Amino acid sequence: MAKRVLLGAAAVLLVIAAAYASFFVAPEERTMGVLQRIFYFHVSCAWAGLTAFSIGFLTNLLYVWKRKDKYDWLGVSCAEVGVAFTTVVLISGPIWAKPAWGIYWTWDARLTSTFILWLLYIAYLLLRTLIEEPDRRALLSALFGIFAFIDVPIVFGAIRWWRTQHPAPVIMGGPNSGLAPGMRGTFFFAVFAMHILMWFLISERYSLEKMRSDVELLRQEAEAT
Amino acid sequence: MGLLSNAAALLSKEVRTEFRSRELLSTTIVFVLIVVVLFSFTFDPTTSESHRFGPGLLWLAFLFAASLMLQTCFLREQVNDTLSALRLAVSDPFAIFLAKIGANTLFLLLTELLMLPVFAALFNVSFRGQLPGILLAFFLGSLGISVAGTALAAISAQARMRELLLPLLLLPLLAPILVASTEVTVSLMAPEPFMQWKGIGFLVVFDVVFLTALWLFGEYLLEE
Amino acid sequence: MKNLDSIFWAYILGWAIFFGFFVSIAKRSNDLRAEVDRLKRSLGNSQEK
Repeated sequence: MAKRVLLGAAAVLLVIAAAYASFFVAPEERTMGVLQRIFYFHVSCAWAGLTAFSIGFLTNLLYVWKRKDKYDWLGVSCAEVGVAFTTVVLISGPIWAKPAWGIYWTWDARLTSTFILWLLYIAYLLLRTLIEEPDRRALLSALFGIFAFIDVPIVFGAIRWWRTQHPAPVIMGGPNSGLAPGMRGTFFFAVFAMHILMWFLISERYSLEKMRSDVELLRQEAEAT
Repeated sequence: MGLLSNAAALLSKEVRTEFRSRELLSTTIVFVLIVVVLFSFTFDPTTSESHRFGPGLLWLAFLFAASLMLQTCFLREQVNDTLSALRLAVSDPFAIFLAKIGANTLFLLLTELLMLPVFAALFNVSFRGQLPGILLAFFLGSLGISVAGTALAAISAQARMRELLLPLLLLPLLAPILVASTEVTVSLMAPEPFMQWKGIGFLVVFDVVFLTALWLFGEYLLEE
Repeated sequence: MKNLDSIFWAYILGWAIFFGFFVSIAKRSNDLRAEVDRLKRSLGNSQEK
């Protein structure tokens, strides 16, 4: 219990510290000014989301191989947390785009691909609600999770290629292109902070799923008597 | 019996069953036609821009049709409870998938080839001399749709609300197919047609990756 | 400054999403814990019988 509170507190403190650094430590960007500072939040959320989905992919593989419930619990936790982070990316992007470009949305390569990524994992979560039997649900969602994840690089690649055919405004110049040294420190600190938050949320969700499974067993026991 | 001969035997069974009634093909073709006609209400198809928008709408129509057509993929086996018998009959469950993918690709291709001249006429688009390229794009795109669609049909068949679930799972997954197929087709139907090999490349990558994934994990999809 | 407004809202909405997610987990956990107590009590009762 103490470990959980500690992790939660660490996550909150780090995220606040990263926000502070984004505004007061990082240098101001030349062309976009103060608006660019959203980048530290937006991109670090994107990376944490992708990390969550990647861990989920590994646990999906492990479930199909080993069939241990804990991999299923970890899988759904990673997917939900990944969706949460990706939602924040999809919301902070347009909020940035409106003052920068005058429009809420632009079908730029990264944002479009992120939208599809989001839809894929929403589909994963919906699939889980439509299968009642726990073992079947675990196996089939793990398999869909695997298919979804291997599709992600193809989606990003194809859409980026499509965008080179039909150029459009790019929302962020590119996180690793032209990151001034002063920015780099803040950026990686923000990435670190978001990953701690991700770790905290995944472990909380995992505990919930584990509890759900225990309750199900208890329920069956109660019905048997 | 080897994997390929098993698959071939099952494939001929699937094709023969369908060609007896032809109900899947006919309903799919009519559905694509309806969608194409409805699309024509959403923009003026006779302008010179129709060769830019038309192919995308055509591929969308194919995608929607496929996500409906694939519903029946495992339905027959489920209704008649023949899946376990099928699994016993073949040594490698991948043969079952190969056969279904082959059949679905064939049915999709037939639909697309029948719709191509109709589409060209309705939208004033020319594909003269570009038929080999278009055939290649149609084949690779349909193969991708079938591979992903067959795998996901096996999943949705075991869930509730499968009619809505299959498109929900399939359409986001097929985004690369839609993007690449549309790009290649648009270039081949342009006033100065040319072949987009990079688009073909993406189609090939998708097909290979998902065929491999299905080969690795297919047997788990058919677990009872 | 209009731009500061946008950044402010982006952060607030983002943190609201994370907080909302955490709160939903906490609520579901509490509901489950209540059900565990209920089940354990009813199991205890049936065992006494």
